[in-house]
This record gives sequence, C-alpha cells and structure tokens, in this order.
Amino acid sequence: MVSKDRPQSRIGRGFRIGKLGLSLTGSYLGYQFQNLFLDERERPEKRKSFQKKAAQQIRKELESLKGPVMKLGQVLSMQSQMLPEEVLSELANLQMRAPAMHPTLARAQFKASFGKFPEEVFREFSPEPFAAASLGQVHRAVTKAGEKIAVKIQYPAIRTAIEHDFQLLRSAAIPVRLTGHATEAMFAEVERGMLQETDYVNEGRNIEFFRERVAFLGYVRVPRVRWDLSTDRVLSMSFIPGEPLPDFLARNKPSQEMRNAIGIRLLELFNLQLHRMDQIHADPHPGNYLIDSDGTIGLVDFGCVKKFSPEFIELMRAFEERAWLRGDEQARRMAGLIWGAQASRKPQVARKLLEQAIAFYEMLFPGASGRTPVVDFGSDKILNSMFQIWNNCLRSKTINPEFAFYTRAEMGLYNLLHMLHAKIDTAAALVKFYKRIAAREDSGRSHGPW
Amino acid sequence: MLRKVEYTHILSMKRRRPGKTRKKAAAGQRESPGKRAQNKEKTKRDILRAALELFSRRGFFRTTTKQISDKAKIAEGTLFNYFKTKEDLALYFFEQEIAGLIAWYEEQHELQEAALPEKLFAIIHRHLERISPYEEFIGAVYLRALQPVSRLNLLSLETQELNLRYLKFIQQILKDTEEKGEIPKVGDFGAYALGLFHLAIISYWLQDASQGKENTLALLDRSLKLANSILKKEAWEW
Repeated sequence: MVSKDRPQSRIGRGFRIGKLGLSLTGSYLGYQFQNLFLDERERPEKRKSFQKKAAQQIRKELESLKGPVMKLGQVLSMQSQMLPEEVLSELANLQMRAPAMHPTLARAQFKASFGKFPEEVFREFSPEPFAAASLGQVHRAVTKAGEKIAVKIQYPAIRTAIEHDFQLLRSAAIPVRLTGHATEAMFAEVERGMLQETDYVNEGRNIEFFRERVAFLGYVRVPRVRWDLSTDRVLSMSFIPGEPLPDFLARNKPSQEMRNAIGIRLLELFNLQLHRMDQIHADPHPGNYLIDSDGTIGLVDFGCVKKFSPEFIELMRAFEERAWLRGDEQARRMAGLIWGAQASRKPQVARKLLEQAIAFYEMLFPGASGRTPVVDFGSDKILNSMFQIWNNCLRSKTINPEFAFYTRAEMGLYNLLHMLHAKIDTAAALVKFYKRIAAREDSGRSHGPW
Repeated sequence: MLRKVEYTHILSMKRRRPGKTRKKAAAGQRESPGKRAQNKEKTKRDILRAALELFSRRGFFRTTTKQISDKAKIAEGTLFNYFKTKEDLALYFFEQEIAGLIAWYEEQHELQEAALPEKLFAIIHRHLERISPYEEFIGAVYLRALQPVSRLNLLSLETQELNLRYLKFIQQILKDTEEKGEIPKVGDFGAYALGLFHLAIISYWLQDASQGKENTLALLDRSLKLANSILKKEAWEW
C-alpha cells in the first residue's frame, strides 16, 4: 500500500509525537487491568463482587512485580495465601482476555487483517460476537455457499502489546528473578506460550491435529478450519453446536448420571491428550467446552496448546507405572523431572514435594490403593490441595517451566469436574479407557494414526 | 501496491466533457450566475479527482501541475485559476471530505443508536478509510500545516471555516449524548478536545507501519473507551 520510495523520513520526522500513543496502546497488562472495569461482557452482579477483590489483588501483585506472570500464565497466582473461593475459581478459569470489540471495531479489524470488510466476504455476518475467545471474540457468519461458520477476530495489535510487556518485565522483574520465584526459563516459557496464542495460523494447525486424533472417541467435536477465510488474526471454522458448560448445567439441570458421564468423558479426553497425543489443550476455560444435549463435547479455542518435552512424557509414564514405589533412585529422578535442577540441589525439599504430589494423586485415584473408589469432585478438596501444592512449590522456589501450561490444563479439568459435581470412580474409569485404547492400538496398527 | 481510487461522492458525479462549458461560452450563450457557480464547482471537483488519482498512482511529490491539468483536460493556466497552490487543493480536499463524512454519518441510523465511543470510533475510522489511498499526500499536507505561515495551519483563517463545520458536527453528537444522560455536560470543550484528538490520530496513523495499521485501531479504541469511562461519573467510584 505504501510505495517503497515514499519519502518516509521526511514525513516521518514530523510525527514522532504520534509514537507517544504507544504508551497507551502498548500494554496487554494494561488491557487486563482496564478490563476489570470496562468489560461489558460480564454480568454486572458477578463483576461487582469480583472486581473489588480482584482489583486489590492485582494491584498488590503488580506492585510486587510478581503479578504479570500470574495473569499471563496463572502460574504464580498461588503465591498469595489462601484466597476466597470465588476468586480462586476465577483464577482457575483465567483466560487470556482482550478488550471487547464493538461492531465497528470488529469490522475494521477484519478488514485490517483480511483486506476486505466482512460484508464483502460473507453472505451474513453478525456484528455482535456470540462468545469471547482468547485474545479476541467470535462472530457467527454464513459463507457465500451457505455454510454456518464461526469467525474469530483478534483484538488489534495484541501481539505488539504482549511483546512490550515482556520487554518491560525483563527489565523490571529482575528483583523477582533474583529471589528465584520466577526464573528466566519460566518467563521464556510463558512468553512463548502467549505469543503462540496470538498466531491464529498456528491455532488452525492445532485444530487440525486434534480433530484427527480425537475423532475415534466419538463424543468430541472439533471444528474444521476454513483456511480460505482465515489469516493470522482471523480464524474461520465450522460452527460447533452446544452450550458452554456453565450454561448447559444451569439450563438443562442434568441428572447425576449425566454429570458423571460427562465427567468421565472429560477425564478420558484429558488422559488421551496427556498419554497418547503428547500435547494438551491448555486453555481450560469452561466456555471452551460446549456441551450438546446428548452429552457430546465440543472443544474449541486451540490457541494455547502445550507440546510436551520427552522428559515430561517420561515423567507421565513414571506416574502411570507408580515408579516412585520402586525406591529412592526412581523417586529422585521423578522429582528432578518435576522440579528441575533445583530439586537435585535440595533433595529433602524435593522428597517432601514429591510426597505431597503423590498424596494428591492418591486422593485423585483412591481406587488404585484400595480405598473407597469414588471421588466426589463437588467438594473443593481437590482444587484446594492442588493450589496448596503449587503454593509450596513456589515457596520452596522449585518450579519447572514445562509445567506452567500443563498445570493450567490440569487445574482446569478439576474445575470443570467441580462444576459438574461429578462423582467418578476415577481409577476404574481410566483402566477401562486404557483397555479401549490398547485394543484399538493392537488392532489398528496398520491403518490410521493409531 | 496501489489502490484503486474509490471516491464515491466525487466519482459518482457524472463526468462531463470539460470543453463543453467553454464551447457554450464561445457560442455567446449567457449562463445564469447559479449555473456558472455550478460549473466552476464541477471543474474544481474534476481537478481534485484528477490530482488524487495521480497522487495515489505516482505519489504526491512526483506529480506535476502539468500532469494534473492534462488529466483534468484543462489548460495548465486554468488550473491556477482554481488552485493557486497545492495547499489550496488540500484545503478543498478536506472540505469535501468533511462534507462527505457528515453526509455519511447522517445515513448511519444504526450507528446513531450506538454508544458514544463506537460513534466517534466509526467517524474517525471512516475518515481514515477514505483518505487511505492518499496517505502520502496527507502526510505532506500535515508537514506543511505545521508551518505557522501556511494557510493549512490550524490557526489560519482559511482553515477556521472548515474547523467550525467539523466542530459543530461533533458538538451536535456530544449534545445528543449529553441529553440521553450518557455523559455529563462537556460543552464545547468536548468538541475541541475531540478535534485535536482526531488530528493526533491521523498523525499516528500516518506513521503506523503495523499490519493493516492495526496499532491505530487499538489506540483509537482504547483511548476513546478510556476517555468515556473517565467522563462517566461512576468510573470514579472504584
């Protein structure tokens, strides 16, 4: 659009002052802070109660320079002492939020990225979004050929804003790094994850991977990407029916059996990703799980997908095989994998943390050690213990950055099960599921990805 | 890459052969004063249209007056009768744009029901969309407007008329919003502030090298929402 030989410098010099605007537009964290007060999507009553507490919390965190990471990856949030439950669940649901866009802005941003206005591209395009998404919002549309699709539009310049924040954090957060609460590796991991989330082309690839791999479950729907109608900031995909989990529960008042069944499906879906796909949907916001009336789960928003390292996969296998029972050497190896180099320097601390983690998983799978097998996710015991463990990890300054997004996903799962008030024989459910997978792997080796 | 010029309110005027009026005059047919003014206005638009097309295709600095007059099919001398300098041309361009903007807004019935930040966003964004094919031209004009002796200077009497027209337009929008109780009374100050903000946004937009100039969109959105929330009384009750 701008010709190369344009005398940019001559004109440019006059407008340096325009750059002042950067300080206004250039901070993602600034958006987050403002959102607490400006976001029109939240229900007013919910907003009112949460705002006050969250505002204090965030201000406190910002002052101590630990906060940004909390909002970015939700990892350091457990550093604060026990929080009231509503704030706790807000944190568990934390989603990368961008400010809401009014119809005029959404239309303008679509044009900025796609080169044409939505009304030139689609037969129908609803100006109001029907859902908030990571870093943007989702609009309904109908293609010229008549297909119903969902169009996700990213808030303008969010990538630049995140980059600015990390530049700032790198210089400002030195005191935090010195005390060891947040390592450089942790910063890098969170930054990597966040920047990846701003690239909708990457997200489109994630969607295709998941679509292929979870298909055999038969009860999970993943959208199909319309590459011809997408860019790195606009993502068009087939429309997935269903209601966000909280709405589904409120409206349909499903029976306990139905709740349990959905709970088992969520548990299976999580374990399939963890143990067989080597990557995980790490944005567990309840709005990303669309439940249809027959219990089908629509999974959307694949911006934040964590691909596991070989070490992490080894660790998961060790947990599966209960390797810690095979002596100290194995236990130390596991602790090293979880908490990194820190753990080998402080073996007692690592041992204590590992014991806690094991106790947690014993609580999660009581059936495996011969106790009452059914876990009641309706109690907040599970979520609270998980927070407690992370709190301890932070206090002892032992965090493996590899876990930042995994923890987000795991905590999200328990939060969903908590919302469902699911009662599940976890061990039995997983044994059954792995048998199913094993049978499939044996019979299907010659065809398909399995 | 060059964009096609899409100036509806100029281009949609039916093109008449520029020679036609002159032929009539030569034939000794007297024209009514109203008709003459109309023809004059039309020639001005023809020249502007020709100039804009050349600016967007060849660039502002490389377009000569000869090329403009050729394109508009008039004598180079006639061109100077209408526009003595490029500044005059620019002033006329902005006049047309503001008139077009006001006319456009009056047709946007849905937008008129929207909240104030969206309205103001839409107006400024529409303006940017309209002038985007002539970015280089606008940039040059802006630089010139910074010089105190320029007729394009914000304080020059020539620009005052234009300013007033724009300010009254914004004043009316703000007044309507005040009456609806959406914002407290801001008086004429609000219109002045927005006028300056509009100019600042254009200068930011000119040097915005981001994809699709999305930085400008973000800046525009955030600052309007922020200003709006500051204006609202409840925003102080945190």
